[in-house]
Amino acid sequence: MNQETLHIASAELLAKMKQLKEVEKMDYLRSLTGMDWGTPEENDTQETMRGLGVVYHLESTSTGKRICVKTSTLDREHPHLPSVCHLWKGAELPEREVYDFFGIIFTGHPDMRRLFLREDWVGFPFRKDNNPEAENPLRMTNEETIDTTYIYKEEANGTLSRTERKLFEDDEYVINIGPQHPATHGVLRFRASLVGEEINKIDVHCGYIHRGIEKMNESLTYPQTLALTDRLDYLSAMQSRHALCMCIEQAMGVEVSDRVKVIRTIMDELQRIDSHILFFACLCQDMGATTAFLYGFRDREKILDILEETCGGRLIINYNTIGGVQADLHPNFVKRVKELIPYLRKNIQEYHDIFTGNIIAQQRLKGTGVLSREDAIAFGATGGTGRASGWACDVRKRLPYAAYDRVDFKEIVYTEGDCFARYMVRLDEIEQSLRIIEQLIDNIPEGSIQEKMKPIIRLPEGSWYTAVESSRGEFGVYLESRGDKSPYRLHYRSTGLPLVAVVDSLTRGAKIADLIAIGGTLDYIVPDIDR
Amino acid sequence: MFDFSIVTNWIHEWLLSLMPEGWAIFVECVAVGIGIILLYALLAIILIFMERKVCAAFQCRLGPTRVGPWGTIQVICDVLKMLTKEIFTPKGVDKKLYNLAPYMILLASFLTFACLPVSKGLEVLDFNVGIFFLLAASSIGVVGILLAGWSSNNKFSIIGAMRSGAQIISYELSAGMAILTMVVLAGTMQISEMVSGQASGWLIFTGHIPALIAFVIYLIAGNAECNRGPFDLPEAESELTAGYHTEYSGMGFGFFYLAEYLNLFIVAAIAATVFLGGWMPLHIPGLDGFNTVMDYIPGFVWYFGKAFFVVFLMMWMRWSFPRLRIDQILALEWKYLVPISMVNLLLMAVIVTLGWHF
Amino acid sequence: MNNNNYFGTLFDGLRSLGTGLKTTMKEFFTKKITEQYPENRKELHISERFRGTLTMPHNEANEHQCIACGLCQNACPNGTIRVVSEMVETEDGKKKKQLVRYEYNLGSCIFCQLCTNACPHDAIAFSNEFENAVFDRSKLILTLNKPGSKVAAKKS
Repeated sequence: MNQETLHIASAELLAKMKQLKEVEKMDYLRSLTGMDWGTPEENDTQETMRGLGVVYHLESTSTGKRICVKTSTLDREHPHLPSVCHLWKGAELPEREVYDFFGIIFTGHPDMRRLFLREDWVGFPFRKDNNPEAENPLRMTNEETIDTTYIYKEEANGTLSRTERKLFEDDEYVINIGPQHPATHGVLRFRASLVGEEINKIDVHCGYIHRGIEKMNESLTYPQTLALTDRLDYLSAMQSRHALCMCIEQAMGVEVSDRVKVIRTIMDELQRIDSHILFFACLCQDMGATTAFLYGFRDREKILDILEETCGGRLIINYNTIGGVQADLHPNFVKRVKELIPYLRKNIQEYHDIFTGNIIAQQRLKGTGVLSREDAIAFGATGGTGRASGWACDVRKRLPYAAYDRVDFKEIVYTEGDCFARYMVRLDEIEQSLRIIEQLIDNIPEGSIQEKMKPIIRLPEGSWYTAVESSRGEFGVYLESRGDKSPYRLHYRSTGLPLVAVVDSLTRGAKIADLIAIGGTLDYIVPDIDR
Repeated sequence: MFDFSIVTNWIHEWLLSLMPEGWAIFVECVAVGIGIILLYALLAIILIFMERKVCAAFQCRLGPTRVGPWGTIQVICDVLKMLTKEIFTPKGVDKKLYNLAPYMILLASFLTFACLPVSKGLEVLDFNVGIFFLLAASSIGVVGILLAGWSSNNKFSIIGAMRSGAQIISYELSAGMAILTMVVLAGTMQISEMVSGQASGWLIFTGHIPALIAFVIYLIAGNAECNRGPFDLPEAESELTAGYHTEYSGMGFGFFYLAEYLNLFIVAAIAATVFLGGWMPLHIPGLDGFNTVMDYIPGFVWYFGKAFFVVFLMMWMRWSFPRLRIDQILALEWKYLVPISMVNLLLMAVIVTLGWHF
Repeated sequence: MNNNNYFGTLFDGLRSLGTGLKTTMKEFFTKKITEQYPENRKELHISERFRGTLTMPHNEANEHQCIACGLCQNACPNGTIRVVSEMVETEDGKKKKQLVRYEYNLGSCIFCQLCTNACPHDAIAFSNEFENAVFDRSKLILTLNKPGSKVAAKKS
């Protein structure tokens, strides 16, 4: 990839980042990855990164220029780096993640708490010298909810000082929504401070289904890591796996056949339709229109049947492999997909009849939870959410992969940025996905479905970042290899984390019922946030 | 049409021959009370089953099919399950009020239920301001909801209860005004007279335009008063888990559930009484043969038929629409329904004065 | 708010509600989609590629293809497969690995197909069998090779 990589010393980071943001207009922080490059060794060259650090992937939405920035600190006792979350609001949660996993303290960060792990977790599991299992037995006590957080500051002499910050005052009416709550779409937990029906402030708690997938990957072989991508965002299983396969293929220098590219594209789009229909169904359910929920599920079943016939799975699809796909298309595939297209078109009209046009739905969705374009970019809220705010952020258009460069489709962009725009983006995208499938389904080229691979796959040394457009935004894979048969570090850019980050600012002053509409239209998936 | 007062009078005479009058009336009261409770429970079971089947049909599903033929025993099993569940009192609740609340709701719906004229001569409570009493009795229910929400010591419950209070008190206004419109047309507040006044034509037909408007408003307000979708936000599942009855288990929850469905029936039955002629059969002027055939169908069949038709209409509404937000619910009531029903009341008064009704 | 707007929204709203009511009423009379499992077990269609459980196909002579090489065990990300083998001496005096027990823990299998991909002899395959519920977790540990089975002779 023709991507420039900058190595910046931690002392100059803040000034350099500010310059990148303001002069080079790098306004979109694509990904923020924590790293443990280990301790310095004798045969290190000048370029070798050592210590605990962070990899930033930046992009300019105006010029399209991309850059990768790496920084690190050699201090393993009290590692600290300057926070960049005043430059990119979207850095706030990923920096907390890095603190959680690597123990790097970000000075100037307004809320330096752990993000995924329990507050009483000992050590930082992603450090290569940490043994999380030894220090953290299964705890049978409840985790206390703490209402305070710390802001760290670097003093002139290089030491750290911290000031306490209260999240909620004692007299605030705080209700707990989740982790077991029908509207949080999984085990996500909000603490909402209310004034009557209005929401004053929301604090998001993640990590209830954190499975340490990134950590697990460090001890798995490359084919084995694929098995876990389906379990991130289960409604973008195809696309997530596609991203990881593409990343590994890119690192190995393997080019997949045209047939594989087309098949992957069709499958990605089927998955996207599946996800968007589920989005519609769940949004309706959240808004109390239970009937529309079942209409959505009725139609989603048809897509799952098609996926099952070819891939053998419905939710955990397991289809893409390194250098190809698991199995050739089923003989019925083309026929059934062709039957599906008119069927879906007819039923999407029904969705519009029962829900989109409904005055109650419109009243509740229009004008609530407005996300401005600037905020969408600053938070890195990609996918339907970003496009509803007027940010053309579709990876399929920005960096075409697979067969997307040869199909004609429209990138749906709305400018309102409210819940209704987010809803319409997704319903309109179903139609665009149908168009993509229509163009490809009759022209699937012949060719091999699997490139020849060595029995044990090793990647050369280096680092790669690949992104695809998953059902709910840019899904990125950052892979760093040291030449072993398992990755040194494999980080997924979660599509949902930025979406959860915007919840607080969208719900200020909104009603409790609006929180449900906002959460529903942001369309986050919790396993993808928690990983 | 068969007059049930013959039967009831005969029973009364028979009891008088056995015991002094005071005792006879006491025995009758007990018998009527038991009768109402049994009918109440039976109706709840039928309604819950109906709701499950009807909503399933709207949602391309079959609904319960396993227990009994077409799943008919399902609800009875559910009731048994509910009866055997543990009743617990969560920590920190106001015990007295917490235990009282379900009974308050039940009391309100019993009192209203007793007013319904099931068939000719089968009215339990029937006096000159019957409609007035009915409206008053039905509004006790909100006290139960507020008590439940307050005493549960749960933030979700209190939000649900407060929403419910605001909603029910608001919608009582337009429901009351819709009924008042019909009282103007019928010229009486006594329920039995109101029904017998509809022998020549149901009020919804004789009152034409304003009656139709009042009917629609009453259906909307009635749905809201029962806390049913699209006005189910006091117990909005996706926002407040279960609203005011979150902390109730076993029969405590059962009573809320029971009262919810019975309130649905009561709202529908009042609509049937006031708008659709109560137990009066359908008569089309001029078709004497048809009218005689209609007269052979007993009054209570007509009554329940009409009530269940209205119940179906309300279920249809519930399963078609998304839920409103609290401010929208109040805006709908105060900006649309109240002004419209006020104008409608005026219109009806003008029409009655000028004799423009049928 | 001007009057036009007031009545305009009112009637538009009523019309949209009417559309919704019409849609649900249409569905009220269309055919229902409920699958009446398990009554419809006979006509239930499951696509042949569906991954229900791992099996080791045996032929009529109770022979399987597994040579106990252990590739599947190594490929498994979850430690689901345990191949127990022993060394036996064949007639011509060579030592040969032979399968004793092929243990498969259905409870921890994530159906990633890496084992079937790794198998050089197609000795294992996923079957459609999906009714896997048992009352005890230990019953999920299956032995795939049938009692008394042996390796099929190599086709030459």
